[in-house]
Amino acid sequence: MSDSQQTQPQSQTRTKTTGSDQPLETTSGETVEETRDEWTEYNFDGEAKMVAEDLDVYYGDDHALKSVSMEIPEQSVTALIGPSGCGKSTYLRCLNRMNDRINAASVDGSVQLDGNEIYQDGINLVELRKRVGMVFQSPNPFPKSIRDNIAYGPRKHGDINTGLLARLLGRDDSEAERELVERALKQAALWDEVHDRMDDNALGLSGGQQQRLCIARCLSVDPEVILMDEPASALDPIATAKIEDLIHDLAEEYTVVIVTHNMQQAARISDQTAVFLTGGKLVEYDDTDRIFENPQSQRVEDYISGKFG
Amino acid sequence: MPRDEFQQSLANLRAEVLSMSDLVGDRLDRALTALETIDETAARDVIEGDDAVDRRYLELEATCIQLFAQQQPVAGDLRFVAASFKILTDLERVADLAVNLAQYTLEADRKRFEQVDLSAIGDLACEMLDDAMTAYRIDDAALCRSVAARDDELDSLCQRASERVVRDLIEREVADGDGWAVEQLLDDVSRLLLIVRDLERVGDHAVNVAARTLYMIESDPELV
Repeated sequence: MSDSQQTQPQSQTRTKTTGSDQPLETTSGETVEETRDEWTEYNFDGEAKMVAEDLDVYYGDDHALKSVSMEIPEQSVTALIGPSGCGKSTYLRCLNRMNDRINAASVDGSVQLDGNEIYQDGINLVELRKRVGMVFQSPNPFPKSIRDNIAYGPRKHGDINTGLLARLLGRDDSEAERELVERALKQAALWDEVHDRMDDNALGLSGGQQQRLCIARCLSVDPEVILMDEPASALDPIATAKIEDLIHDLAEEYTVVIVTHNMQQAARISDQTAVFLTGGKLVEYDDTDRIFENPQSQRVEDYISGKFG
Repeated sequence: MPRDEFQQSLANLRAEVLSMSDLVGDRLDRALTALETIDETAARDVIEGDDAVDRRYLELEATCIQLFAQQQPVAGDLRFVAASFKILTDLERVADLAVNLAQYTLEADRKRFEQVDLSAIGDLACEMLDDAMTAYRIDDAALCRSVAARDDELDSLCQRASERVVRDLIEREVADGDGWAVEQLLDDVSRLLLIVRDLERVGDHAVNVAARTLYMIESDPELV
């Protein structure tokens, strides 16, 4: 790659540009594996829910994500796979600006949600993270009742019928809230297991139930995109299977992006798979069946076959 | 390299499939020679040896299933195990056809229809199978396509042979009242037609092997 322009790491700042006029090039001598643009140009039917263009992320001097451009189709499951340190979680966190919370991180490039730039000044981050929700590796319910865990978001977000605003307006929101909690728990396939103990502390649930509770909590604010960072890696096979079934069902309504270390999980549950390899590069992005049957890149083949990584 | 043991299992599978193909190729050769020379002992040998081929087939099929279940191969590894799994079935069928040929030898105690060159048909079918297995051994996509291309030639040889026999049947005059001669002739004709059909099928299985091998090498299902 030519070094037409080098951008220095910008620690302590969180600058963003709208990408195309300021492309970032890889610094010379870093290319380890062969990469080709056509391997990452993924053609799909339907609309792109999110679009990243020339996305670079630095943690201090560390260039963690290198010029990643990738479109995420709506109402489908996109899996991000790759060895540790390949940038897949970094990329995921760019999609709802969670990297903003890391002081040393700086993000360059563009990410659009429904065509609107999320890295622009004045964007409402609370609103963004409501639309683009996140579920983490370890279940992290609040130390509150099951009901409160689910109702927390809607109350906080001030929904006109159920939230703080409704309370200030003196509306009785208990029925609406009850319905919302029930709907979220049903969507997360947890309702049948917890409906008779809604006031119990959520920390008393099993790990798998806690994770589904976190998914329900994410769903309660009516997101459009759900980001999942290894959501089943701390769970046993039965709980994992339930989460996987749930992800499959969620994709009928939501856009799901999932980081997983479990290759078979990616193969089982995703519609398309993006493979990141060491150095923060997206190397190949295609239909999941193509990635797992006939990947174009030898390095991707070696990685998914377990020959390195 | 991680997964050394898995890689070794794949190498072993390839060696085992090739060794089974050697075994099957040998059976087919011997069946054809037995047919040519009316060698009943060799024919019986081929028939009795089929159990060993079947056992080998089941063992290797189990090996493939075990690899699928325990190693969950993907990409090139997946295509290799899937292709091998299918190729084993074709090899087992070829061995069954060799048994058929051996049985025809036992049934026919004399040579008839000398004008039909069965050995040319048999040689071509054997050569196709050999080449398909060579393609599998050395990952040769061009050889796969060449095997598939030769199938037309084999089919036309078979068709000409069949027509020749049927024409001969029509033209032959059997002495009035000689029922025994008529029975024998019908026997010979149908047997020869079956032999030709089975050799044609050997070629079809060779094409199947080539098709699966091409899929294995290039993920190209064009011949499948």
